[in-house]
Amino acid sequence: MLYKILKKDDYRDFLTHLIENYEFLGPVKKDSATHDFVRIKNFDEVDTNYKRTTIAPAKKILYPSTEKLISYKIEGEIKVESTVNSSEKILFGIDACDVNGLNFLDKFFTSDFADEYYIVKREKLIVIGLDRMPSETNFSLSMGKEYAKDGFDLFLTDLGNKFFVRVGTYKGSSLLQKYAKTQDASEADFKDYNKYMEEYRKNFKSKVDINNFYDNFEIIYDDKELWDKVAKNCFSCGSCCLVCPTCFCFNVKDDMELNLKVGNRLREWDSCMIPDYGLVAGGHNFRPNKENRLKQRYRCKLKTFVDRFNTYACVGCGRCIETCMAKISIADDINLIKKEVSV
Amino acid sequence: METIYTPELAKITRIESITPSEKIFDISFVDKEVQENFNFLPGQFVELTVFGIGEAPFSIASNPNNKVKFQLCVRAIGNVSKALHNLKEGSKVGIRGPFGKGTFPYEKAKGHNVLAIAGGLGLAPLMSFLTYMIDFRDEYKNVMIIYGAVNPTNILYKNDISYWSTRDDIKVCVTVDNPDDKWTGEIGVCTKLIPRVDFKPEDTYTIVCGPPVMYKYVVAELEKKNFTDDKIFLSLERRMECGVGKCNHCHIGDKVTCVDGPVFSLWDIRNLKEAI
Repeated sequence: MLYKILKKDDYRDFLTHLIENYEFLGPVKKDSATHDFVRIKNFDEVDTNYKRTTIAPAKKILYPSTEKLISYKIEGEIKVESTVNSSEKILFGIDACDVNGLNFLDKFFTSDFADEYYIVKREKLIVIGLDRMPSETNFSLSMGKEYAKDGFDLFLTDLGNKFFVRVGTYKGSSLLQKYAKTQDASEADFKDYNKYMEEYRKNFKSKVDINNFYDNFEIIYDDKELWDKVAKNCFSCGSCCLVCPTCFCFNVKDDMELNLKVGNRLREWDSCMIPDYGLVAGGHNFRPNKENRLKQRYRCKLKTFVDRFNTYACVGCGRCIETCMAKISIADDINLIKKEVSV
Repeated sequence: METIYTPELAKITRIESITPSEKIFDISFVDKEVQENFNFLPGQFVELTVFGIGEAPFSIASNPNNKVKFQLCVRAIGNVSKALHNLKEGSKVGIRGPFGKGTFPYEKAKGHNVLAIAGGLGLAPLMSFLTYMIDFRDEYKNVMIIYGAVNPTNILYKNDISYWSTRDDIKVCVTVDNPDDKWTGEIGVCTKLIPRVDFKPEDTYTIVCGPPVMYKYVVAELEKKNFTDDKIFLSLERRMECGVGKCNHCHIGDKVTCVDGPVFSLWDIRNLKEAI
């Protein structure tokens, strides 16, 4: 890791250069409550001053909500094609917990079978992170995901009149050399950075007690009353999964084009909250009730990947809590489970 | 570019209708080299594409030693399987696989007794193991096959069952829930026959496949006979859409059935809540 300082006065120039030379994606205000990562052509469109999390999460750039896996021609000799390609892009302005979200997906899509569609896009993506104060529902500090150790090319922290820049890769370093005037971070800069980070960590209002969840979950696993209470208001709508920066489940479907000669196989984001998630041919549903599905979601987020990758599959960004129409909060439920077990 | 989602073209070389709802499909890859290098293990499955319809998982139901073709035994019950039933000999399909690290204990069981318990269509996945085992019959001790079908018409693999019955080194018990006038065999569910098994538990490997509802009853019967969890293997069904552990529909706890299964030991299953 290299540590650089980018003066505030040089920030606009730096970004402008990047916008001019790359396909540049950054946070843009969509409406009073929503920001989204979209293609930016002009510096003034960039709005890093967002209070709530961005919707949809940045994963959509690497793992689009609908993506073609193969196409096939069925007229005459059947021919199957799968095209994997991607162009270099810059993703600017994602916060630390979202970088950690990408880090989780990196592990997931490269484990066992390597998913070329994700990997090719990831290799071509330049990530420039940006620290920002946590939103109200963000509990990433408790999840140990409030700080991104890696997974970015550059990571900026706004220290008032300057940015503290962590340089994570050669690519990031080249970008700075080519397009920015920077200097090495001094001892004083580090002190300012540490002060910012201390203040940043103090700003987390939402906290969870995740310690011992791994075991506590087993204790309350069969507590029907508890799970009925937790899932009582769930609409099984799946919004929590669609806004989640780590959710990866997808459905596969084949669509024929209107000429009926070419078929496309698509994957589409799915949600484990949807009633037909566990439905198989013949009509048996392995997850027929919503209490079971919500419990399963918590297990997937907070336990399954502790077993598989030694990490939580929840970064604590708080999007699902903001989005849930039934006001179900994974943060409150983690604490509730802790309380139930302690009684 | 080849990806983990790209199916390989294969041809249906033969179709045999064995019951009103099940057909056996013989399949060979179009590319000879691919066919020669297609090695699968008992219990593994493939993802089959019916072009224009979609893709679905099917356990391979034939002998892994056959390098010329493989077989699937398919019930017309979902979108893909119904479309597959409408295809003719010579039709092309797409195949990905074989998939699944969890296989039947074809090696471990050598030198021991083998008890195979199948319910309904569950006999199909077991066929890969049973045909392999019969090729190496001398390497296994006593063999007993218990098979339960809904009615005599729905009995699968009648030819194989007759052949097994002629051999004095294989004991076959077939039972049906709903007998017809001509049926002279056993009546009732397959769990009823388990008490008759006289194999020593510590020297017996049991393999089980059937509808989801069957497992806990089979397990309860095996427990009564002191069969141990490490020597009982069950093939589980789940919604295995992608086959490569990505779509996640087939997860059970920290396992994904398509990668870690579809065959699990009973000991593994006891640690996977809601597996059976």
